Amino acid sequence: MLVHIDGPWSPLLGRLALSEIPYKNPILVGTFVFAMLVGVVLVGLATYLGAWRTLWRDWLTSVDHKKIGIMYILIGLVMLFRGFIDAVMMRTQQALAVGPRSSGYLHALHGYLTPYHFGQIYTAHGTIMILFAATPLLVGIMNILVPLQIGARDMAYPYLNAVSLWLTAAGAALVMASLFIGNFAHAGWFGIVPVMELPYSPGVGVDYWMWAFQLSSIGTTLGGINLLATIVKMRAPGMTWGRLPIFTWASLSANLISLTTFPVLTVTLALLALDRYVGTHFYTAGLGGNLMLYNDLFWIWGHPEVYFVILPAFGMISEIIPTFSEKPLFGYLGMVLASLGIAGVSWGVWLHHFFTMAAAPAVNAFFSITTMVVGIPTGVKVFNWAFTMFRGRLRFELPMMWASAALFLLLVGGLTGMMNAFATNDYMVHNSVFVVAHFHMMLLLIVYAIFGGVNYWFPKVFGFRLEQRYGKMFFWLFTAGTAVVFIPMFTLGFMGMTRRLDYVAFPQWGPLLDIEVAGIAIYALSVVFLLAQLYVSFRDRAQNRAGLDAWETSRNLEWMTHSPVPFYNFAVTPEIHARDERAWRVEHGVDTVRPERYEDIHMPRNTALPLGLGLLSFGLAFGLVWRIWWLASVCAAMIVVLIVIRSFDNDTDYTIPAQDVERMERDIRDVPSGRPVTGDVAGGVPAFREGV
Amino acid sequence: MTHTTDNAWQHPEVQLASGGYVVAYVAGLVLMGLSLWIVRGHVLAPMETGIAISALAGLAALIQCVLLLHLNISETQIWHTVALILFIPLFILAIGLSSWMFHGLYRRTMLMPAAHVSAPATGAQAAGAMKAPG
Ligand code: HEM
Ligand SMILES: [Cu+2]
Repeated sequence: MLVHIDGPWSPLLGRLALSEIPYKNPILVGTFVFAMLVGVVLVGLATYLGAWRTLWRDWLTSVDHKKIGIMYILIGLVMLFRGFIDAVMMRTQQALAVGPRSSGYLHALHGYLTPYHFGQIYTAHGTIMILFAATPLLVGIMNILVPLQIGARDMAYPYLNAVSLWLTAAGAALVMASLFIGNFAHAGWFGIVPVMELPYSPGVGVDYWMWAFQLSSIGTTLGGINLLATIVKMRAPGMTWGRLPIFTWASLSANLISLTTFPVLTVTLALLALDRYVGTHFYTAGLGGNLMLYNDLFWIWGHPEVYFVILPAFGMISEIIPTFSEKPLFGYLGMVLASLGIAGVSWGVWLHHFFTMAAAPAVNAFFSITTMVVGIPTGVKVFNWAFTMFRGRLRFELPMMWASAALFLLLVGGLTGMMNAFATNDYMVHNSVFVVAHFHMMLLLIVYAIFGGVNYWFPKVFGFRLEQRYGKMFFWLFTAGTAVVFIPMFTLGFMGMTRRLDYVAFPQWGPLLDIEVAGIAIYALSVVFLLAQLYVSFRDRAQNRAGLDAWETSRNLEWMTHSPVPFYNFAVTPEIHARDERAWRVEHGVDTVRPERYEDIHMPRNTALPLGLGLLSFGLAFGLVWRIWWLASVCAAMIVVLIVIRSFDNDTDYTIPAQDVERMERDIRDVPSGRPVTGDVAGGVPAFREGV
Repeated sequence: MTHTTDNAWQHPEVQLASGGYVVAYVAGLVLMGLSLWIVRGHVLAPMETGIAISALAGLAALIQCVLLLHLNISETQIWHTVALILFIPLFILAIGLSSWMFHGLYRRTMLMPAAHVSAPATGAQAAGAMKAPG
């Protein structure tokens, strides 16, 4: 039943052999040494600080939505770094490999990367940035914020939340493992058919890509279910739909997308797996298969996915702008409808990713129009932001700088998107770097919103504000990098440069490619300032302690609990009176009122099972990639066993008695200004976790 | 943390199911077995095969939606209705627009002409290739 694989295979190791370890490649060896050094330093540090116990008890086995969120964000940042390195390599390769006389290094004919390696790098870059950087960063932020914004103690399913996290982590680990064991796919992040079919990609690369994608897709589906259930079911009393904070609305619409479209991806990849493992012909060019089936199915997920990542970004911008305009958000209802509208339209536009692949003119026209319709709700949003700022008292602190710069990227990205949306235009630019520049504007918008959001909510989560001087330098350098890389890229797109070139045949493109390298260098420089910002913030954290409301003009519920947020979120579940609850309480002078009495708090208990499930699914995927059948079967069986064990566990939660809550709340020192400041908390999230 | 009961038998979904799950499961197996048989046995001509298994798939989806997911317009189970409101447009969009795209695609791409004719594959390929550039 299984397809026959050329090359060696053994029952014990499957296709794995020493020759699959790329120990002769200096770049990969260097990376390996670097990764090992970082690993050794981290392990050493944890041991030296005696942090293993905390690490295990407070993080790895935690089901606290804030910590899970932070771990998501850490995964996202690590992968963002990896994806950035891939980008540096692509830029430098293209700049070096211009014209027939350009010299080659490291066995490459031109530049220093062979086509074999270059293909893996662009595939890894796209896959990582969309699935393992942007998605975890946003899911992490939603994880932290949504329960706080609706006054819940945790997610609806805290255990499931941890499972989603560790599945995503397993996927990310699989991508990383492919660096040092075997190789990665070279068929593009979206999988070019039939290149990723077995006859054209007989190695393990596509299998790595496919299973990593699959793991993260399952994790995100589960996460989406969880966030939806949380928003629908866990709102504090008085939190009607009309009072829901706007970021929560954005998360709701985003997760409607993930709930409805990620399953399509799961099926798409499962069919590919059948093709590659048991020899079916879903996506082959003959024998009843159909290439277009893959494109169709992939983009039914693929386009909604891009809106899944942009909606939370819009949500963050919608929270930041009112705070720093010192005004309520303009057009709340319009914003809500626009978010839901974007989610709705996103289901009906996917074909614009393959306008050039022979659909009937009427079909192309239909999808052109639906694609342009997205501009309407997006436009509504932009105008609402502009009117929020209009006549506001604008304060350009860091979060506001990131948020307002994001609007410019939205403009460029949106307009170029509209240009692609004309099927006729798209015949010109499809597969060119113009498209690449378009979606990088959009994805950078998300990155900007994330940096804005991180600066904005950091004090809520960690109890101290991030320093702003280095932060601003980081902002300006990053923005300069964006301009210097992507303006030439748009230009090259107009000059007809196609995507994914490992060798550039036209010398006249050289200078612009050189400018792009300069831009990448500016990006790299900016990272230094980011690190400086983080270091200085941490060093001076005592001066930058934040009160309940770190920015003094915040409006939402999350700013009503302590910073850092205690593990139980709110000592007493708040009663909601208005849309901007915190602003309402400040206005009515009741923002510092302390509760009269405390009640028992019901909390979920830690568990190591999700971590185990993550490890096992990594093992399962690794076994499948290398066709080590015993490993895959053992892991699959163990996963089932763990799930069964968990379902018989009735001791999944505990209660914090009211006196304990009261004592912990008393320990939080009140500062005369009426802004309570957490005591001598070391600046870690959880501060006072007790009574477990 | 929504946590009303530890006993799965007491969940309302389970209590209301009344055997529907088993019926849906068996029906699903039968329908899948049937389509597998049609495909593996080359029982029908290519185009008819496509139509037949699409119809079976539609039936299977319907059975799952009604018997497993309980999509209906009852007032007591409002979320079932919401799910239905989400399901119908999505179904029309995803399946409908895809079929629209595929309809007419073969003529333009010359891919797999065999799907259009009822003769055995080899002969059909020759025939299809000749009339393909339509
Ligand atoms: C105003 C809204 C938008 C419009 C009208 C639009 C339009 C388009 C069109 C027509 C294409 C296909 C171009 C081609 O391949 O020839 C495209 C590609 C793409 N867009 Fe957009 N887009 C919009 C928003 C976004 C957003 C918000 C994102 C992401 C956050 C995004 C990410 C992408 C990506 C990743 C691709 C290329 C995928 C690939 O081929 O690798 N777009 N866009
Ligand atoms: Cu799209």
